[in-house]
Amino acid sequence: MNAQVINRAMRGTGSVLREYLVLVMIGVLAAVTGIVEPKFVSGANLVNIMRQFGPLIMVSLGMTFVILGNFIDLSVAGTINLVAVVTISLIQPFGQIPALLMGLTLGAVCGALNSVVILTSGALTQAEALFLTFGMSTVYSAIALLYSGGTTMHFWDITKSKSVFEAIGSGSVGPLSVSFVIFLVLLAALWIFQSQTKEGRAIRLTGGNKTAARLAGVRIKRSIVVIYTIGGFMAGVGAIVLFSRITTAAPVIGAGYETNAILSVVVGGTTLKGGKGSVLRTVMGVLLIILMSNCLDLLGVSTYLQVAVKGAILVFAIWLDNRKQV
Amino acid sequence: METGSAEVILSIRGVSKTFPGVKALDNVSIDVARGMVHGIVGENGAGKSTLMKILSGVYQKDSGTVVFDGKQIEHITPHQSMLSGLAIIYQELNLVNTMSVGENVFLGRFKEMKGMRGTHAAARKLLESIGSKVSTTRLVSELSMSEKQMVEIAKALSFKSKLIIMDEPSSSLTAEEMVELVKIIRQLKGQGISIIYISHKLDEIFEFCDIVSVMRDGRVIDTQPKSEFSRSELITKMVGRTIENEYPPRPQAVGEVLMEVRSINTQKLHDVSFTLRKGEILGFVGLVGSGRTEIVRALFGADRVKGHQVLISGKPINIRNPKGAKDAGLGFIPEDRKLEGLVLPFSVESNISMASIDRFSKFGFIRKSLERGIGARQVASLDIRTPSTRVPVGNLSGGNQQKCIVGRWLEISPRIFIMDEPTRGIDVGAKFEIYTLMKKIAEEGGSIILISSELPEVLNMSNRVLTIFEGRITGEFDPQSTPTDTIMSAALGLAPGLAGGAA
Repeated sequence: MNAQVINRAMRGTGSVLREYLVLVMIGVLAAVTGIVEPKFVSGANLVNIMRQFGPLIMVSLGMTFVILGNFIDLSVAGTINLVAVVTISLIQPFGQIPALLMGLTLGAVCGALNSVVILTSGALTQAEALFLTFGMSTVYSAIALLYSGGTTMHFWDITKSKSVFEAIGSGSVGPLSVSFVIFLVLLAALWIFQSQTKEGRAIRLTGGNKTAARLAGVRIKRSIVVIYTIGGFMAGVGAIVLFSRITTAAPVIGAGYETNAILSVVVGGTTLKGGKGSVLRTVMGVLLIILMSNCLDLLGVSTYLQVAVKGAILVFAIWLDNRKQV
Repeated sequence: METGSAEVILSIRGVSKTFPGVKALDNVSIDVARGMVHGIVGENGAGKSTLMKILSGVYQKDSGTVVFDGKQIEHITPHQSMLSGLAIIYQELNLVNTMSVGENVFLGRFKEMKGMRGTHAAARKLLESIGSKVSTTRLVSELSMSEKQMVEIAKALSFKSKLIIMDEPSSSLTAEEMVELVKIIRQLKGQGISIIYISHKLDEIFEFCDIVSVMRDGRVIDTQPKSEFSRSELITKMVGRTIENEYPPRPQAVGEVLMEVRSINTQKLHDVSFTLRKGEILGFVGLVGSGRTEIVRALFGADRVKGHQVLISGKPINIRNPKGAKDAGLGFIPEDRKLEGLVLPFSVESNISMASIDRFSKFGFIRKSLERGIGARQVASLDIRTPSTRVPVGNLSGGNQQKCIVGRWLEISPRIFIMDEPTRGIDVGAKFEIYTLMKKIAEEGGSIILISSELPEVLNMSNRVLTIFEGRITGEFDPQSTPTDTIMSAALGLAPGLAGGAA
């Protein structure tokens, strides 16, 4: 039908515009800041941006799957706290590679535990998951505090080799930082998982309509376990990248990552309604958030105001998402 | 005018409305006389809803005039339209579930009613005037569909409406509740209130409408007193082509027993046992809430039910969830297409391929070319009308959406196909296509369990029907040889629970 074709074309332009909106905003932001403050385009600042990118992008990539499945995960802050203090403490007794693997496993286990809590409590809405994962976050944080005794552990306390973590924190491969290379590898893997695999499809169908997916024989419980496990695993990766960069691990270092990750995912254009979105969009979202705080820093805008700007952007992103017709 | 000398309450003259790329209304003129029930029939997309939305002020017309109660209507808001005495009762109803009946009737007008006491008293009076005994303090969420409809009507009356528009009110009502609605419509008519009644269902149109307008492709094709139309003439005018029969002949060759279901027991269901034969269409007849949907949901593993036995081809099978049911060769068209059947924002293709992911993936990876083939095959073989397999399935008409769900299951060739309200809310032409498909499935050896609120549909399509009342099977009948009354009284729990009705 003629009407449908035109409708579709309009929808097409709309989504192209949306797709480009984030890119346009990134470009405008970079250009304006570059003109006002030439330091912005200096090599040192670009490296700085690349490093800042590290932890948040890891957490956000994981969060993308949770949101694609029409759920949400506030527990990542607690997971980061726990993985960071546990991993750093294991380097001395077990060596760095075992510590790294145990840290990553711990992240995935925390995530899987979230899904078990959600499934056993029969919570099937985003709102219920919000509160449950918030609760789990406080549990993980409390364990991190108990485990570490509330103290901060430093790299210089470790007498054994910690070269792997030092490389993750500050090493580089050619012009790229090691953490950026890790990001590229994980991004490629997650993108393939999301767009090319059966399980990736099941996650998006679950996110699009849980009831319909289940009645068509899609295993939605499995999808829920998978999305939270990925979310927890990536939070663990984020934790390791984070403490490697700052060379210390305190049981509170994850604070704020849950909201920033959700912010990045939604600003990138993955809908909170589930089903539609992509890890590639999330990369753009994270880039925008990092660039923005970097440029606001350079322009001397106060931290308090920066928080307000972030909030405004999140509201705007959700508003935009709701304007888009199904 | 066709309406003769009767006073015209609503006069629509030459109204057109264009949406980008489509003429939704093309020079539409209709006169509605005071105290008449004016039926508007037409397939989905004929422009009925657009016209109603223009009357209520949701859309603005591009050209033409609308005169209501002697006043020209121009740029009104839905609220102003209500105040002027024109009420619309939408298909999906417009009530606040978490508030009481009384509060809903006078929503936002508690002050005028002098507080809650006055609100409930006035609401009570309005509800009694239409013969409803619903307590005004009950929560709307606890009401049945028909009770909710009563609340909507009371709300319309509270605005002293002179014209009430009802958009497909019967789509969610049982036959019994429908009888009540008809009574009320007649009563409102007696009070001089005009009613515009929009429906797909011709039985209703012929039962109580005085005048009928047929719409097609944004135009009014014809407006005549009911008596001037024959049934087939009306259908022809609606679809723009001739449909010989409303139902294809039912499948003939019914084979041996394919599935045996033994004693499903839940809080709502009591010792439900039945058999299904190869190539058979088995109809479930019962009121909404009788447990007919619960039976098939239990069978399909959609609800967690334990303790019953299912034998397929003599072998016991344990179905624990829908995935298990799918693997056992069952397919399921759920009752609510949009909420339970489709992922609306997703493409036609991915909605069709949902149940057969295993068939187009290898080592966990999806093979897109195979998926595209599945989408294209079903679109072609079911004649799903869509500009491409890539458009969101939500853009399609109801009938085509339903065909996508049918295609989803046909792709894995289920042996047993459960269809819960397969033709709800879809137009006459598409219905016939679904019926033809059902017949084809049965003739190729598939078995179908059919649930429908439309009695003629079940009776004309099924080889055998089971009546269900309050969670029990109350009878088994051959619809060809049993009078409809007998079947209906078993479904209403009036006849003793004899299985002897069947041949």
